[in-house]
Amino acid sequence: MLVDFELIKRAQTGESAAFNEVVLAYRKRTLGTIARLISRPEDVEDVAQEVFLRLYFSLDQLRTAEVFEPWLYRLTVNAAYDYLRKHRRRMESRMSDLSEQQVMLADAQAGGRVDHDARQQRQVRETVDAMLSAVSEADRILLTLKEVEGLSLKELEKIYRVNENALKVRLFRARQRVLKALGDGSKEARGKGTARAEV
Amino acid sequence: MEWKNRGDENTELDGWFRAYREACPAPEPSANFMPEIWQRIEERQRSVFYLGRWARTFATAAAVLSLAMAAYLYIPHERNSILYVESYVEALAAGHAVDSPDFEPSMDEL
Repeated sequence: MLVDFELIKRAQTGESAAFNEVVLAYRKRTLGTIARLISRPEDVEDVAQEVFLRLYFSLDQLRTAEVFEPWLYRLTVNAAYDYLRKHRRRMESRMSDLSEQQVMLADAQAGGRVDHDARQQRQVRETVDAMLSAVSEADRILLTLKEVEGLSLKELEKIYRVNENALKVRLFRARQRVLKALGDGSKEARGKGTARAEV
Repeated sequence: MEWKNRGDENTELDGWFRAYREACPAPEPSANFMPEIWQRIEERQRSVFYLGRWARTFATAAAVLSLAMAAYLYIPHERNSILYVESYVEALAAGHAVDSPDFEPSMDEL
């Protein structure tokens, strides 16, 4: 816990200063989680503010301060899920609008501006985003929380209020789909490489 | 062979996820982060307040209208009033009085 239970209880009574302290303590962590869940830096802060807004109006429903962190995670997951669902179509059309040449040109131009590390990080983000797009928004969030955020099954159980076995099955299936996407992507890349070599 | 490949793929995937975590560090919140949250909270509270006020006004108007209708129905009205609408049974009874029966025997029958 990043704050003590007393502070959360004070925030629950409507004390603005206490709520401010809670936000200050958790905002960095929440921003990080959202950044990895939605992978759109320009919208991270907006979604994080939505999370704290929901927290403010639902804090009185929290029965015990001990479950505050899973509660905040649940609010984060719900806000990220709403965002992903709303923006899915827009993201798909944006990707399909770009031809391969345009993508290569943008890569080359970007390459001149940013340094090697930043370029590599961008590649990693794009690759993992592409792999995660093979699964539903709900599975993407679950996988990110488990594999990227490093949450345990016990913690996920508290967040999702689902038993461990159900989570294991869901994670396994999501992982299989991502592995398939990874395999297909590698094959495609190899195919393109061969075609280019032949030309 | 299949198992070995799947194991390699799983290791590769774990590597991608680790790299992804490093490639997506937590961004620094902007200076406007807290003021914007409070602004949004106040906006939401204001809209909830107006919605509540509108709902109370609507409920009061509905209650007043119900009372007016109840009072109107409770007060007896005269039959020749323009607001009085006679029922089907009443109209039938008025048109078929006992002293003027529909069936009148003809002279032959008598």
